[in-house]
Amino acid sequence: MIYIIDHKDSFTHNVVHQFSLFDKVECDNYYEIDKSKIKKASVIVFSPGPGAPKDYPTTSKIYKENRGKKKIIGICLGFQQILFSEGAKIVEQKKIYHGFQSNIKVISDKSLFKKGKVFKVGRYHSLKLQEPFQIENFDITMRCLESKVAMSFENNKDKIYGFQFHPESFLTLNGNVLIKKILSA
Amino acid sequence: MSKKNQLAAIHHSGRPYIIYKTKRGFDLYTNFSKKIILNNKNISSFLKKKNKRRMKNTDLFIGFFGYELLNNLINVKIPRQKNSNFPKGIFYKPEKIINFTNNLTYKNFSKVKKNNFKININKESYIKIFSKFKKKIKSGKTYQIKICTKYKTKSKIDPLEFFSRLSKTNLAPEAFMIRDKNYSVVSCSPENLITKKGLDISTKPIAGTVKKTKILNRTKALNYFKKNLKENKEHNMIVDMERNDLSRICKVGSVKLSKQKIVEEYKDLFHYVSLIKGRLKKNVKNIDIIKAMMPGGSVIGCPKISTLNLLNGQEKENRNIYTGSFGYIKFNGDMRFNIIIRSILNYKNISEISVASGVVVDSNVNHEFNENYIKAKALIDLFK
Repeated sequence: MIYIIDHKDSFTHNVVHQFSLFDKVECDNYYEIDKSKIKKASVIVFSPGPGAPKDYPTTSKIYKENRGKKKIIGICLGFQQILFSEGAKIVEQKKIYHGFQSNIKVISDKSLFKKGKVFKVGRYHSLKLQEPFQIENFDITMRCLESKVAMSFENNKDKIYGFQFHPESFLTLNGNVLIKKILSA
Repeated sequence: MSKKNQLAAIHHSGRPYIIYKTKRGFDLYTNFSKKIILNNKNISSFLKKKNKRRMKNTDLFIGFFGYELLNNLINVKIPRQKNSNFPKGIFYKPEKIINFTNNLTYKNFSKVKKNNFKININKESYIKIFSKFKKKIKSGKTYQIKICTKYKTKSKIDPLEFFSRLSKTNLAPEAFMIRDKNYSVVSCSPENLITKKGLDISTKPIAGTVKKTKILNRTKALNYFKKNLKENKEHNMIVDMERNDLSRICKVGSVKLSKQKIVEEYKDLFHYVSLIKGRLKKNVKNIDIIKAMMPGGSVIGCPKISTLNLLNGQEKENRNIYTGSFGYIKFNGDMRFNIIIRSILNYKNISEISVASGVVVDSNVNHEFNENYIKAKALIDLFK
C-alpha cells in the first residue's frame, strides 16, 4: 500500500490517481495523519502543497522515523520537505515557476534514468533548493535545462526520491513512466 | 397566447420565476411549490435528502449556493464581514417549465434612473492588497489569487428588461435570471462548473479572455493566448486544479482532458477554455461532488484551501452570490451548475456587481485594476 500525506494542496488527488495506477493508495490530510496506515504502507509519499517545509513539522518527523525503513517519495513541497529534513536550505527564487512547462535533463549516471535524457515537465514552485548542497547518498539527478535548478534527487541506497516538478501534471509528458520506474526500484 | 406574451404575463403576474439558458434557447421555471432557504445547518440535509425518482421534467430543485455557504461546507471559516443579510442559498421546486427557443424579447419603457456606482476598494487599497498577495506568491502560500471588488448603487431595476438586453449583447451559455418577491439576479455567466448525467461528469473552466476587435478573429485569438505566457500559466494551473477536484470523486484513470486550451467565441469576446471529463465512482453522492468542486477553482485561485483562507482574511464584505453556484439538481441525481460571475444582485433596492481578476507572480497592478473595471463596466452600462 502507498500512503500519501496531503499538504492541503489542489494537486494531491492527481498524485493519488497517478500512484493508484500501480498499487493500492491511501491518502490523508496533514491534520489527520493515521499512524497505523504509515505502519502498513510500503511507500510513503509527501504531496505538493503551499508554503514551506518549516510549516509541516509532522511530515519531517514522519520522514525521520521512516527513513531507510520504507521507500519515501516527495513531490514539489515533498521534495523540499525531505531535503529540509536532511538539513538543506530551501529558499525563494528570483524567477517563479507556476504552471510552467520546462525541459529538464538527467545529469547523473547514478540515476535510474538514462543520463542525457530530456523530459518535458510541469512546474509549480516558488521555492528551491539552495546549492551547493551535500548529503551522503543523495544525488541531484535532474536539472532544468534553462535555469539549472535542481529538479530531482535520488538516494538509491535508502530508496528516497524527490521531484521538484509535478509528474502528475498534464504538462508532464510520460509522468506515469517516471513514477513506475521509481516504484519498481 | 404567444410565448412572448406568456413571458410578459408571468413577469407582470408578480409570481417568482427563474430563466436558465439552454443549448437552443431558454427554460423558464415557475409555479414554485417549495422554497428552501439554505443555511450552514440545513445544507447537508438538503443535499443528502433522497427525492422520489420520478420522470417529470419538473422533478428538480433549481437555485443557488452563495459563496459563504460553500466555504462552510468544506470547513473554511469566514471571519465576521459587512453583510446585507441576503440569504446564503435558496432552492425552488418548480411545477411548470416553459421552453423558449427564440431570443427573449421584453421591453419596459419606464426609465432607469442614472446611477452612480461606488467601488468598495479604491485603487490605493487595491495596490496594498495586491502587493501583500504578491509576497504570498513569492513565499509559496498561493500560486494564483483573485482579488474581488464590488460595485454598488441604489436602484430599482426591472430584471427581465435587463436580462433581455443582456442576452442580446452577450448570449452567455450559463446565463440565468431569478425574479423573486424581494430580490432578483441577472447574470451572463459563461462558465459551467458541473454537468453530471448518470455517472458522467464534466467541468469547463475558463481562464483567459480577450476582447474581439475587427482584426482579431478566432485564429488570431488562439495565437494571442498561445504566445501569452502569463495567460497560459494561469490556465495550466486551473486545468490541473480541476483535474484534481474531479479526481477526488472519479474513478482512477477516468479523468481526461477532453478539450485542451481551445478558443470559444462570444459576441464581444474570446475565451480560453478547457473541458475536463471523468466517470464518477459508484458510491459518490451529490454532496461529495459539490464539496469536491465548489467553490469553483478558476474564480478563487490555487491551491484552493490556502487561497480561500488568504482571501477571507482580507475581504471585509460578504460576497453573497458572487463565485457561488447557480443550477439544478434533478431528482434522478443529474446536475448542472455554473459559477456565478458577471451578475447583478438586486436586494433591498441596492444593485451590486462583483468582479475579480487574478494575481499571479507577473501580474501588473494597474492592468488588473482596470481589468476589474472593464468586467464590471459591461454590466454597469446596462443602467444607462
